[in-house]
Amino acid sequence: MRTLVLRANPLVQLSVGLFSLLGSFWIRSLPVALIALGAYVLVGLLLLPGWRYPLVCLGFTAIAAVTIVYSTWRLGGRDTEEAITAGLRIVVLAGPGSVMAGYVDPSRLADYLAQTLHLPARLIAAFAGALQKFTGFGLAWQQLERVRRVRGFGPSRNPLANGGYAANMSFALLVQALRGASATSIAMDARGFATAHERTWAEPAPWTRLDRWAVVVAAVLGCAPIIARLAGA
Amino acid sequence: MSLGGARFTGFTWRPLGRRNPVVAGLDLVIEPGERVLLVGPSGAGKSTLLYGLAGALGTTIAGELSGTAEVEGRLGLLLQNPADAIVAERMGRDVAFGPENAGMSRAEIWSRVDEALASVGLTYGRDHFSAALSGGEQQRLALAGVLAMRPDVLLLDEPTSMLDSDTSASVRDAILSAAEGRTLLIVEHRIEPWLDHVDRVVVLSADGSIVSDGTVQAFLDGPPPAGVWMPGMATPTPLDLPADLVAPDVDALSIAATDVSVELVTRTLRGMQRTQALTGLTAAITPGRTTAFTGPSGAGKSTALAVLGGLLKPNGGTVTPELRRWRSPRLAGAVGWVPQNPEHGFLTSTVGDEVRHSARKLGREVDVDRVLEVFGLGRFATSNPYRLSGGEQRRLALASALAHRPGVVLLDEPTVGQDPSTWAAVVGWITAARSTDATVALSTHDADLPIDAEHRMRDGVVA
Repeated sequence: MRTLVLRANPLVQLSVGLFSLLGSFWIRSLPVALIALGAYVLVGLLLLPGWRYPLVCLGFTAIAAVTIVYSTWRLGGRDTEEAITAGLRIVVLAGPGSVMAGYVDPSRLADYLAQTLHLPARLIAAFAGALQKFTGFGLAWQQLERVRRVRGFGPSRNPLANGGYAANMSFALLVQALRGASATSIAMDARGFATAHERTWAEPAPWTRLDRWAVVVAAVLGCAPIIARLAGA
Repeated sequence: MSLGGARFTGFTWRPLGRRNPVVAGLDLVIEPGERVLLVGPSGAGKSTLLYGLAGALGTTIAGELSGTAEVEGRLGLLLQNPADAIVAERMGRDVAFGPENAGMSRAEIWSRVDEALASVGLTYGRDHFSAALSGGEQQRLALAGVLAMRPDVLLLDEPTSMLDSDTSASVRDAILSAAEGRTLLIVEHRIEPWLDHVDRVVVLSADGSIVSDGTVQAFLDGPPPAGVWMPGMATPTPLDLPADLVAPDVDALSIAATDVSVELVTRTLRGMQRTQALTGLTAAITPGRTTAFTGPSGAGKSTALAVLGGLLKPNGGTVTPELRRWRSPRLAGAVGWVPQNPEHGFLTSTVGDEVRHSARKLGREVDVDRVLEVFGLGRFATSNPYRLSGGEQRRLALASALAHRPGVVLLDEPTVGQDPSTWAAVVGWITAARSTDATVALSTHDADLPIDAEHRMRDGVVA
């Protein structure tokens, strides 16, 4: 059951984020916000293949939510309930989409964007090529880390110095990414990408029964705030 | 120009940040169907010519371009660094990229993908993660991506440099078979195996001009050009380096691995790929000896070096001393490690700073100018490391990792991309380190490297 999310097609995966975004506009009160968030948490607990990554996403979304809560509280008459509602609205708006984006396979997404939505083939192929680079970033980070450690510039016990180390590593990864992007664009052009006018796709983009049911679930989740409001919450 | 032809006219290229052009006023015509071997010393501009034909100079790569580089027909280019050529997360889709661009049917695409993967000896299957491959395997994947297109013009930059001799031979056969009736332009340092299969040899000098251009026989009969591995030539004598430049600043360690196993995991949210990189490795490296890890790509050579140097945690077994637990400055004082991809090793913005960086951190003295001279990099002291050629970058990575004179010297494919004179410098450093009682271990496919002990590996096991 926990592999269903991975087996759904990428457009379905991303539709979860789209529906949550649209549904979040109906969150106007704390009970509605709690019901909407609760629905996503419940379905997440049942269907997501792991808990660490969703928690990381939730953590990043929470940073945005806290700033919204604080600013709403300061500027909105210091109404705590309204401030918390605004914060939870942000979590419902951004959280599900950010979680689902991580499960999207770049090549499959390209297949569906090109063959189902008929977006321009070259644009989509370039987009997929860029997305797949994220898989290699982990390995590049590992290599950069090893080099720094063996050359005397690894992390230390000093938390302040480690902040600088993390910034330095991030910059090094950025340099690697930019240089890799240039080289990859050369490699892509040299494999016919520059002149690909009638591009085809190695895999089809079918819609299975699972995909159709998954869209229904995503839509119902997105409608949770509307249903809650109609039910008087 | 006919289909499959290529032509340079007054071709001049000066990369951004370099004072002088790498190639100046070059004229060269390659006829359709010709098989041309492009040779010359490290930094002569061989790869530059391939990039020129691919249309990358002045567009994707910044610099000043004049003259023209033209090619007629579909192009297939293999880059020197294979990791840069990966365009898809899994092997099958990566190789399929070219046929998809050519608008082929799905059946034709997969038939070509399977054929290309088989021809380069990659048998993991279509769904294997591209990022989980070793350097040599990625080189073969990139080549499969080029071969699957069946291009009119094949441009290959050191296609077998990271492969052992057996795999090289089969990959060479695959290239020659795919190039049947097509134009082929190959850049290689170890040229001997190619000479029976090419029509023409073009030799570049260190300043990027053509010093000879003719048939293989004319090339062999002519005076031996500088910076080229001529067939049958004696192994170059390693440079005799002064001990004070290389001798360890600390007592060298003996390192022993006992029954070490390593499982590498390539992880994404959509799944993971487990690769058993080492199984039951028992090996020791000791001061005053050069120990080589050899074997086909993917055998676990780089992983063995990383485990011995305390850079990778084994899943089982023991490594003594346990360098993995040492803090960074202490480890740097004892161990120097040269990574396979030199660009991962650069920490500063100039070549000179790169060489003195670790020594300054450790409070050791380094004669930067002499080190750069040894490796033929003296004129690049103020250049950015990323502006160097592939072979120059490899030498700089080695100089940066070892200039502070660690006791343990670990080198991952140190002689790839080197011409005879730069090879002599690299190997001179290795032999000088060994003779001054450093502990030297390396992974290599180079049969000419002088070694004291060899661990031949296959599938993560010492054979």
